[in-house]
Amino acid sequence: MTATAARDLAGRVCFTDIQRFLSLFAQGLAGKFLHVKVIESQATGGGAKRFIDGESIHVPADIACFSAREHNLGAYRIAVLHQIGYLIEGTLEFDLAGLLQQHPRPALLRRVFGTLEDMRIEAAMRRRYPGARVDLDRVQAHALALRPQTQPMRPVPALVEALLQYSLGAARDALQASTRGELLAKLIDTAAVVQRQGARVADSAHAALRICAELGNLLRRLPRHFVTPTTPEEFARLRDSMESLNDDEFSASDAAGLAFDYRGQLMTDPSAKRRTGGQFAAAGMETHAAPGTVAPGTRDAADARDAPHAAATIARAPVAAGPRSFLYDEWDFHRQSYLSAWCRVYEQRLRGDDFGFIGGVRSRHPALEKEVRRRFGSIKPLSWQRVRRTSDGDELDLDGVIETVIDRRTGHDADSHLYVRRDRARRDVSAAFLVDMSASTDFPLPDPAAAMTAPVDAPAAQPPDSGLYLYGGHDESPAAVSTPKRRVIDVAKDALALMCEALQTLGDNYAIYGFSGDGRHNVEFHVAKDFPDRLRSSTWAALGAMQPRRSTRMGAAIRHSITKLAREPAGMKVLIIVSDGYPEDHDYGADRTDREYGIQDTARALQEAERAGIVDFCITIDPAGQDYLRRMCAPSRYLIIDDVTALPRELSKVYRTLTS
Amino acid sequence: MDSHSAASRLTDEPWYLPLADEVQIFEAAYRARLPVLLKGPTGCGKTRFIEHMAWRLYRESDSARRSLELPLLTVACHEDLTATDLVGRYLLSGNETVWMDGPLTRAVRSGAICYLDEIVEARKDTAVVIHSLTDHRRVLPIEKTGELLDAHADFLLVISYNPGYQSVLKDLKPSTRQRFVSLVFDYPAIEIEATIIAHESGVNAALAQRLALVGEKIRNLREHGFEEGVSTRLLIYAAQLTAGGIEPRRACDAAIARAVTDDAEVQRAIGAIVDVILP
Repeated sequence: MTATAARDLAGRVCFTDIQRFLSLFAQGLAGKFLHVKVIESQATGGGAKRFIDGESIHVPADIACFSAREHNLGAYRIAVLHQIGYLIEGTLEFDLAGLLQQHPRPALLRRVFGTLEDMRIEAAMRRRYPGARVDLDRVQAHALALRPQTQPMRPVPALVEALLQYSLGAARDALQASTRGELLAKLIDTAAVVQRQGARVADSAHAALRICAELGNLLRRLPRHFVTPTTPEEFARLRDSMESLNDDEFSASDAAGLAFDYRGQLMTDPSAKRRTGGQFAAAGMETHAAPGTVAPGTRDAADARDAPHAAATIARAPVAAGPRSFLYDEWDFHRQSYLSAWCRVYEQRLRGDDFGFIGGVRSRHPALEKEVRRRFGSIKPLSWQRVRRTSDGDELDLDGVIETVIDRRTGHDADSHLYVRRDRARRDVSAAFLVDMSASTDFPLPDPAAAMTAPVDAPAAQPPDSGLYLYGGHDESPAAVSTPKRRVIDVAKDALALMCEALQTLGDNYAIYGFSGDGRHNVEFHVAKDFPDRLRSSTWAALGAMQPRRSTRMGAAIRHSITKLAREPAGMKVLIIVSDGYPEDHDYGADRTDREYGIQDTARALQEAERAGIVDFCITIDPAGQDYLRRMCAPSRYLIIDDVTALPRELSKVYRTLTS
Repeated sequence: MDSHSAASRLTDEPWYLPLADEVQIFEAAYRARLPVLLKGPTGCGKTRFIEHMAWRLYRESDSARRSLELPLLTVACHEDLTATDLVGRYLLSGNETVWMDGPLTRAVRSGAICYLDEIVEARKDTAVVIHSLTDHRRVLPIEKTGELLDAHADFLLVISYNPGYQSVLKDLKPSTRQRFVSLVFDYPAIEIEATIIAHESGVNAALAQRLALVGEKIRNLREHGFEEGVSTRLLIYAAQLTAGGIEPRRACDAAIARAVTDDAEVQRAIGAIVDVILP
C-alpha cells in the first residue's frame, strides 16, 4: 500500500457510519424527513444516477477525496446542503418540463439551466450557511480540479464547460483567456444574476434562455465558413467543425467525470412525478440507463420504489412520506462476526379502514375481554398508600406530633418528620409487541363450526366465549358456514386488541409493531401503534390492517424495536415477540434452508435487547418451536402455544408475569 | 412543603414582546375576572408573559392595586403536589399547631394572581380546589379549617400546561379545561425570536438572527427524543454564554445540544447544524 493510499484510507468516511447523522442533519435543515441513500459509483456499474425528487438525497457510499476525515465529512455535509437547496430554493416547484418543451435544444437548455441553478443554490448556501463556506470552497476546488480542459473542445461545449467551471469557482480571467473571452464574459455576466440575493428559479430560467440564445447565435454563425463543400474532405471538415444540431451531446450530465458529484442531478424518470408531484419529473430529462433497463441502478432506489407498493396492499391511503429506513448489523454465526450495516429496515405506518375492528373483537370475545381486564385490573395499583412520618404531607401524623412534643419537653432533638401523605405506587413500564406478519400467518385455522355440527362424537358444546370462537363465528345458523376462515394473524390481532384495552386500563405505555420483509434490503417494520400515540379509532383500524406478507427476518426487526424502546424513559422495558415459526428469509443465511443462521442472529439480537435493559419474551404458535426457541432464549423467556386460540389468554398472563 | 412557590414583588417591568393579541385578551379576561389557561411548549415565554401582565395590572402608575406587595404567586406544579400544598396545612409550632396558608390561599385572600405552572403535573385532588374558584362562586373551601373563603375581588387564577409532552394519563380534563380562557403560545417567528434573544442576552442582531435560525432548524428534529424542540430560553442561554465570552459553537453545544438530548448522534447532528449556520 502506498503512503497516499494509506492516507486516503485513514481519512475515508463511509456512509454506513454516518447514515443516521446525515439523516438528522438533512431533516433539521430541510424541515422534513429526507431519505438519505447511497449511490453506487459508475465503476461498480451503478451508473452514478440519482434523483433530485424532494424526497431523498443521494450521496456516495464513501468519500475519500481528502486526506483529513473531517474534510470528507464536510464533503458529505455539502452534498446534503446542496441537494436540500433544490428543495428550499424552489427548484423542484418550477415547471421545467414546460420550459424545455418550448425550446429547440432542450438538452442544451437543461444543461445550462442546471448549471445556473447550481450557481444560484450555492450562492444562497453561502449566505444561509456561512459556516459551510470553507467546506464548499474545498469541495468546489476538488471538483474543479477534475474538470477537463476547454481548449480542445468545440466552441459551444467549451463555453458550456467554462460556465460550469465558473460555477465551481474558476477564475474568470483564466477562463476567458482560454475560451472565446468576449462571448464567455457576456455569458458569465448573464449568469451572475442568479447569484444575487433574492434570485429565484425563474431568474435561472431566464438567464438560461438568454445564454442558449447566445449559443444559438454562435451555432448559426459557425457554418458560414463552409458554404459549399464540394469534396469529401470538405464535408468531413464541415462535419468536424460544425456543432451538433440535435444537441444530444448535452444529454450527459454536468456531473459526468466528477469523482465526487456533490450536486446531484436534476434528472428523473417518469415515475418520479407520481412520487413527488414535482414538475421536473415530467421534463423528460436524460437517463443513463436505456429505457427498460433497471433504472437508477442502485438497490436503494429499487427498494424505495418497492416499499410503498408493498404498503399499498394494506394501506387505506398512500403514505404521505416515503418509509424511513434504518441500517442494522446482522450476526453471521458462520463467521462469528457482525455484518456491518447489513439489513435495511423500512419503517412505515399501518393505515386501515376497518374502523369496526375492535367492535368485532369485543363481540367475538366478550367473556375473554372481561377476564383480561380483570386480570390486569388486579395488578393496577388502585389504592392509595398512607406513608407516615414524612417531612411534608397532607396532615399531621398524630403519633409523630406526640413523640415530638415529648422529645421537646424532655430536652431531646425533635424529629421533623411529622406528616402523613398519600402515595400511589406508579407503574413505569414501556412494552413493545412485535408481531410476525410473515406469509405463514395466512394459514387458515380449523373451522369450529364444522366440529360443532358433527352429529355423533362432537364434544360437549363450548361456552359462548370458548377459545373455539376465536376463529369461528357465534352464529350457529347456516349462514355461519359462509363466515370467512380465521387465520393465525387474525387471532394474533384479536389478542393484541384485547391487550390494548387492558393496557389502556393499566396505564402502561405500549407500542404494537409488525414485521416481515423480503431480503436483507427490505425488512418491513409496520407500526400499528407507536409509544406516543393515543389509542384512537385509527389505531384499531391500523391493527386491523395487519396482514400476512412475506418472510420472517426477526433479528433486524428486534434490533429496530430495541432502538425504539431505547428512547423510552421507562424504568422497565419489555419486548414481547409473537411469531408462528422459526426466523427465515431467502437470504437469511447461505440459503433459505439455512435455519441456523436466522436462529443464531435472532438469539444474538435478543442478547442485545437484554444488554439494553429490555426484558424480552417470545411466544410462538408452533408446536415445533421447542427445537429452535431453546437455542434462542432462556427457558424462562419463551412460551410455545400449540393451540393458537389460547394466545389472548396466554399473552395477558405473560405480560402480567413480566411486569408485575 | 412540596410546592416551589416563588413570589415576585415586580418592582421593574418584565420585558415582554407581544406575539399577537395576547396582552389585550388577558387584560379583558382580567377585567371580567375570567380564569386564564396558558398553553404552549416549555421555554416559549408563558411565565414571562404572566409576570409582564401582573406588572401591567398591579404596578402601572394608574393601577388601583399598586399597594399589593406580592401581586403574583407562582407555583411550579409537580407530580407530588397536592391540594394541601396549595391550600395550606397545620404546622407544629412550640406546643401547638398553627395553620399556614398555602400560596393559593394567600392569593385568594390578598387579591393577587395565582399562577399554577404545569397544572397537569399536580395530583388530581388539586382540581377540587380549582373548580370552585373558577366559576361564579369564586370561593376556596379549606377543608381542614372548615373555612369557605371568598376570593378577593382582584384575585385571578392562571394555569398553564403543555399539551406537547403530556401523556393520556396527564391530560387536562374537559371539566377543568372549559373553565378557562385559553391563550396558545408557541415559539415565535425567527425575526421576533431574534429580537428576544438580542434583548435578553445583549448579543448583536446578526448573531441573534443566526441563533434564532438554529432554533428553527433544531425544532425540525423534535421527534427524535425531544418533543419540545429547543426553547427560546435555551437559545437565550447560548447567547448569554456567547456574550460572556464563550465561543458561539461551544456555547450552543453546552446550552442547546447537550441540554435537549442525551442521544449522541442527535447531539452530533445538532452540532453540525449549528456549525453550518453560525458564521
